[in-house]
Amino acid sequence: MALARSLAVPRAALMSLGVLMVAPTALTLFTALKPASEASTPWSIPSALTFDNFLRVWGEGGFSVYFWNSLVISAVDAVAMIVLASAAAYGLVFIRFPGKGIIRLAFLSGLMVPAAAIVLPLYSSMRRLDLVGTHLSVILADVALALPIFVFLFASYFVKIPGALHEAARTDGAEEWQIYWTIVLPISRPVIITTGLLEFLWSWNDLLLRLLLLPEEQTRTLAVGLLFFQGAQTRDITALSAGAVIMALPVVILFVLFQRHFVQGMTAGAVK
Amino acid sequence: MSVLTSSAALPGRRSLKSVAWRSWVTGALFVAPALALFAAFALAPTIAVIEYSFLKWDGVNPERQWIGLANYTKLIGDRIFWQALSNTLQWSAIIVVVNVGLGVGLAALLARVGRGRTFIQTCFMVPVVIAPITAAIIWRWLYQPDGAINLILEGLGLGTLSRPWLGDPEVVLPALAIAHCWTSLGLSIVLILAGLQAVDEDLYDAAALDGANPWQAFVSVTLPAIRPVVAVVVILTATGAFKGFDLIWAMTQGGPVRSSELLATYMYKRGALENQYGYGAAIAVALLVIVTVAMALYSYLQSREQH
Repeated sequence: MALARSLAVPRAALMSLGVLMVAPTALTLFTALKPASEASTPWSIPSALTFDNFLRVWGEGGFSVYFWNSLVISAVDAVAMIVLASAAAYGLVFIRFPGKGIIRLAFLSGLMVPAAAIVLPLYSSMRRLDLVGTHLSVILADVALALPIFVFLFASYFVKIPGALHEAARTDGAEEWQIYWTIVLPISRPVIITTGLLEFLWSWNDLLLRLLLLPEEQTRTLAVGLLFFQGAQTRDITALSAGAVIMALPVVILFVLFQRHFVQGMTAGAVK
Repeated sequence: MSVLTSSAALPGRRSLKSVAWRSWVTGALFVAPALALFAAFALAPTIAVIEYSFLKWDGVNPERQWIGLANYTKLIGDRIFWQALSNTLQWSAIIVVVNVGLGVGLAALLARVGRGRTFIQTCFMVPVVIAPITAAIIWRWLYQPDGAINLILEGLGLGTLSRPWLGDPEVVLPALAIAHCWTSLGLSIVLILAGLQAVDEDLYDAAALDGANPWQAFVSVTLPAIRPVVAVVVILTATGAFKGFDLIWAMTQGGPVRSSELLATYMYKRGALENQYGYGAAIAVALLVIVTVAMALYSYLQSREQH
């Protein structure tokens, strides 16, 4: 009885704080569903709920194009990251070859480099390669910058796989790529999912690289599209809210569906 | 045939060498794609940004002029740079203090709540997964002169506190830091919670036997046990704050009158918008140095902890 009561107070307090944390997002969703003329106060009850704002930004606002661009870049990012990081980690963990220490050190140093510090040379490289304005430029930069984290995430999973498993496959005459593809990857599902989700999320949410590398309207992602839309439509709060909801909804849904994987990945990535 | 050429049939150095050679090639093939991409678009730009910082260059013209340390001496005399640096440190300090203080407190409460924990955790994590630009749009709207925050203050009879939050140089930086904390607190709580759950229950029993009240147990058992994870939260939120760009750029672009200018936004303005690549690169190097020093300090403290 005493225990139940002592827990009830913190639980109620935390629940209310939790609701407070969600309130700004919820109010934004609510505003996005209001008729454009009735957005005077955030909590005013609208005469009717409408999808009008969504249709406006999706069509006239160009958000259908931005959404598609974001989706392509983030999906390719996620798949490329899974393949490249898992292969590199496999090589570093299972295969004996000289120079591994240096390679590890190189990746380790990459953990500390913030994208903001290197965007200027990154932009000039992309300009020299004539890639500015292409989705490929963003994908290359995204994957290169986040690779170290995921190489270490895969490696920390691979070192827990018993070495005997790999030895046995080798003595059976299996090639390394066969072991990688048919034995190691199938038992690495948790890291694969975590990597795909996190890379998708970071790619979906990033603004700075896309602001520099995607100057033209047709190639913009949602992040850049929203920034310019905000600049042009600051008074039209219902449309702006609809745009924000379009950008937030996919990742919030992904998060709610795969919460365990997200949390594990973020925890592991942080503790490494 | 294959038996003849296998290593069993040909013992000795040559076959061993060829095995080693093959394993070297295979290893290289696995690592090379990732390494090449990383070297070209992460490592090379890091070296290049240091090189740029010694140049006078507009980023376009093939002519680049080597000017030695001139960008750095200019930086030292640049009042805006010092303001951006001081803003970056202040904004990071607020973010770290809020994340650690509220993070430890709320995680300690959350650890005691069984039922409802997932719901609460989800509520705190939703702002973490949404983009900084989305958070910026939401908070710009909340902070408007006629926005939700001022309306609530007036409703509570605290109308004298209401102000144009993003237009007032006095409060803009803390206001932005709070918006940033909204997007980072959930992860800090989750991390600290993971640390709390790894604390040995026996220690609490021992403390209870010694007659410690819950607060004493928290101070003498919980806090020492979660120090490593708190260190992780400090370094994670600090580096996250140092490199902050998206949120500020979308909310104030560093204004009003530079009062929310950070190193990253100033670098972007000078380098990308005004095409002063050399000078922008010098600001970027300052940013790089701060992050590296913070990380080095962190790993030094961690290694000292282990010995």
